[in-house]
Amino acid sequence: MIVSSGFLGFMVSIALAVTVIAPVVLIILWIKDWIKGQLW
Amino acid sequence: MNSVNSAVLDADTGWLILAIFSVIWIFLGWFWGRKAKQLDDFMLAGRNVGMALGTATAMATWVTSNTTLVAPQFALQLGIWGMLGYSLGCIGLIMFAPLVKRIRSLVPNGYTSGDFIRLRYGVWTWRLFLLISMCYAIGWLISMGMAGGVLIHALTGIDYQYGMTVILIICVTYTLLGGLRAVIGTDFIQTILILVGIILLAIFTISEIGFEKMHADVLAERPELLNVLMPAAIMFLFNNLLFGVGEIFHSNVWWSRAFAFREGVGGKAYLFAGMIWAPIPVVAGFIALGASSLGLNVPAADMVGPMVAAKLLGFTGAVIVFIVVFSSLASSLDSLLAATSDLILQDIYRGHINPQASDEQLRRIAKIIIVLLGVVTWLVCLPRIATLGSLLQYLGAFVASTIWPIAAGLYLKKANATGAFLAMLLGTLTGIWAFFSIGFYVAALVSAVVSMLIMLISMWLIPGNFDWSSLNEIKEKSS
Repeated sequence: MIVSSGFLGFMVSIALAVTVIAPVVLIILWIKDWIKGQLW
Repeated sequence: MNSVNSAVLDADTGWLILAIFSVIWIFLGWFWGRKAKQLDDFMLAGRNVGMALGTATAMATWVTSNTTLVAPQFALQLGIWGMLGYSLGCIGLIMFAPLVKRIRSLVPNGYTSGDFIRLRYGVWTWRLFLLISMCYAIGWLISMGMAGGVLIHALTGIDYQYGMTVILIICVTYTLLGGLRAVIGTDFIQTILILVGIILLAIFTISEIGFEKMHADVLAERPELLNVLMPAAIMFLFNNLLFGVGEIFHSNVWWSRAFAFREGVGGKAYLFAGMIWAPIPVVAGFIALGASSLGLNVPAADMVGPMVAAKLLGFTGAVIVFIVVFSSLASSLDSLLAATSDLILQDIYRGHINPQASDEQLRRIAKIIIVLLGVVTWLVCLPRIATLGSLLQYLGAFVASTIWPIAAGLYLKKANATGAFLAMLLGTLTGIWAFFSIGFYVAALVSAVVSMLIMLISMWLIPGNFDWSSLNEIKEKSS
């Protein structure tokens, strides 16, 4: 069963969207920890 | 060694980038290492790492060169399922999250995964576990050292041996200066670099080739890569899942972080790291499907990622790829150097050679071990002996055998030393047999199934009755 180009595009786009959000969330977490003095 | 004609960075630019990052990582290693006055600071970053650094270090360590180089390789060899199967590696991080809470409550002052196995299953199972762990750790170090050489050669034409040597020297130096604190600190920066680089690379690939053309060209040349019922790929999917779980459950890279994170942080950090890691093999892997559209003749499958990127993006793109894979390599190499040196220090040196060693002696020995690990890795990496994927899958037979002894050992009183020993031994041996008799894609699967059956049978035939409080031995000794 061969996947369509639409499925390929959908799969990669979802993965890319999550990957785009990740660094933003990490930087927000870093700022929150830094403000609280809880980086390490 | 394969030669690559698609190097788009000249050697001088390659050396310049290496020099810049060498200075940054080594300076940061020294800077953060200044605060590591006690053994716990050096080995476990003071046992007080917060959520941001905890999540980033778990994610960055799991994004190895194996993700950025082997994910495209598997996409080229196994298609859609190659990417998705690799992506299931996130299950290991996610499943480890609840275990971290259990580990912290059972062995609050532990240092290594070996501590738990020794106290839970006794000396002989501990020694077998150490053998498996060391095979895995050295194998992983070698695969990353080799990946470093391959990457630099593919993108800049710098000799494989020189590139591999430089990456090892950089990582050994800053790990030596700052211990786990330097490793975790640099991991955060490396995580951001990796994520941003992979995003840019994916966006460029989509805009330059597009899904329609990529799909049509793959369909014309290698339609099996788009087949969701490709049998070998489906087995690879389950195999890779178990490989990932085995790697994380047993390796001291992950246990040392469980001990290093602040109380209450570990579970959440591993869960979140697993969630943001999951899409990365897809984002990094799908670009390999563009090889057909670009008419690339790929000399070795593990070079497809850098080759596609270099062909597509020219100078700027090659610099981005170079930084991404260099960061991936460094974030995993440093973690492995630190965690493996901890394992050798705590379980081999203190456990077998000098139980009365002082903290000061241990810190000195830890540094010697880091240097020796770097030298051994360098020596083994000099000849390029296997493709990266094959080397890693071979290790799957080892690590998958430890999943059930560790999981059962953490939760079930009935789990016993005889069962755990036989599960690891026979699981590993049958996994190796499957690797050579059937294929790389079933080694971890066979190992995990055999190991599970032995654990179940042993708990039924000779059930143990473990006293959880005996895991506090380390606390009593250290207090």
